[in-house]
Amino acid sequence: MSEPIAASVLTLNNVEVVYDYVSLAIKGVSLDVPEGGMVALLGANGAGKSTTLKSISGLLAAERGEVRRGDVRFRGQAIGALMPQDRVRLGIAHVLEGRRVFEHLTPSENLIAASALHSRQDMSRNMEMVYSYFPRLHERRATPAGYLSGGEQQMLAIGRALMTQPKLLMLDEPSLGLAPFLVAEIFQILSRINREEGLSILLVEQNAIAALEIVSHGYLIESGRIVMHDSAEALKRNPDIQEFYLGGAENKNFRDIKHYRRRKRWLT
Amino acid sequence: MDALLLLESAINGALVGLMYALVAMGIVLIYKSSSVPNLAQGSMTMLGAYVVLAFANNAGAPMWLAIPLGIVTMFFVGIGIERVALRRLAGRPIIMILMMTLGLEIFLRAGTMTIWGGTARPMPIGISDAPLFLGPLLINRAYAVGAAIAIVMFVLFVAFFRTRLGVVLRAISDDYTAAWSVGISVERGVALSWAMSAVMATIAGVLWSSVQGADQSLALLLLKGITVAVLGGMDSLGGALLASILLGVVEGVASSVLDPMIGGASRELVDAAMLILTIMIRPHGLFGRHDIERV
Repeated sequence: MSEPIAASVLTLNNVEVVYDYVSLAIKGVSLDVPEGGMVALLGANGAGKSTTLKSISGLLAAERGEVRRGDVRFRGQAIGALMPQDRVRLGIAHVLEGRRVFEHLTPSENLIAASALHSRQDMSRNMEMVYSYFPRLHERRATPAGYLSGGEQQMLAIGRALMTQPKLLMLDEPSLGLAPFLVAEIFQILSRINREEGLSILLVEQNAIAALEIVSHGYLIESGRIVMHDSAEALKRNPDIQEFYLGGAENKNFRDIKHYRRRKRWLT
Repeated sequence: MDALLLLESAINGALVGLMYALVAMGIVLIYKSSSVPNLAQGSMTMLGAYVVLAFANNAGAPMWLAIPLGIVTMFFVGIGIERVALRRLAGRPIIMILMMTLGLEIFLRAGTMTIWGGTARPMPIGISDAPLFLGPLLINRAYAVGAAIAIVMFVLFVAFFRTRLGVVLRAISDDYTAAWSVGISVERGVALSWAMSAVMATIAGVLWSSVQGADQSLALLLLKGITVAVLGGMDSLGGALLASILLGVVEGVASSVLDPMIGGASRELVDAAMLILTIMIRPHGLFGRHDIERV
């Protein structure tokens, strides 16, 4: 299926996550993000996408989750035992679902808070970089972030993550609740950042149509398992993906729709 | 009633109020940097005073040395409290954390009593008992010193919250998970806020002991501190300062008017009324942050 890739920035090997000691959230997820690559993790609600990201960024502990089995490697180094801030220091940035900006801080203070690990010079350089990608944040830099629009907040959340000088940027549903033109704009900026900064990106999305436009590879996760992995082009052509994630074949006549849905082929 | 006497009550009230602000600002500090309402601030104030006295009386250090030693000790007590009691609760429901601070309040007060006993001790820090004369008005010198120090501390902390570190602490209080996600060491930030608050408590403890002696009643300053902090808006230092003056003036004037009529305890009634009315009429206080809701 996938040819061996020379250098991976991130490798998950059979990762299993348990919440509260009992409930199994992901059951053996393996994936691979190549250095400088852009990969999507697609799946429906509750499939385990966010849990996968938290197992990488180390934010499971606050929700009483833990990696029970398997290992997470960042540039070859096992990071399972590291605290979240140490993973950020290594270069892993996690843009949380639902944006989660610091609402009572202004955008510029949000960016300052996110450079706790860096010197003042790095901070002002990174800030300039963020403002050049997101000029709208610069316009609104003095308004409390809670009053920004959804799109601006998403830009701020991405900008805030960029302030940590990541090597891997992970985004959890950046398109959530945004108008399509904003999704397109933000995704364009993401692929620019990927190209210009050489940043590897792991994009978690329900919006498969938008995501497959910008990534090179995609993984499909369902009920806590990776069920498919292929290049974005191949995924777009796959009839199952088309039916279940891309909104069905275009030439379908609604009168002919059966009352049961076709069974997903990978479920046995 | 004499207008001059009222004015004198109002001014002394304002100064006493600013001394309440010393306790209230400790509460605001922790709230502003970790969103925890600290109910242990009263007994931390008491403990701070006793630690300073321990350096002065038991170890024989002069007062000018005992106070900084007490402040440094309490700084580490604050860090210890976070490490032992609060770290495991990070991210847990606020009610559990609130109950933990209540438990700490009882523990620290009882522990202090166990170690040093319950008799009141003097805290001689060299402020003379002679009043200051402001025209025809008599101003309590100790209150004036306490109020001045409260204002200095206020300025210092306002400046601190504009620094990079201060912004980081405010970010923690907004969203722990988001703070972790950008590499902020939330635990260390919360520890720092407790340490600063313990320092503040020590200063408040020393000043209040110099007025009334060090005893268990120092822990009751929690009620004044909470009232001022809530009225000011919990996370606003400026709000706390203004609210403390407001509470002090109302208390001072009300007690000089009402006490002869109803026979005492009007100060407590004023506090209670202020706290209850704030919660009923303006729950976010004078300058507290609203939770931002976009439509």
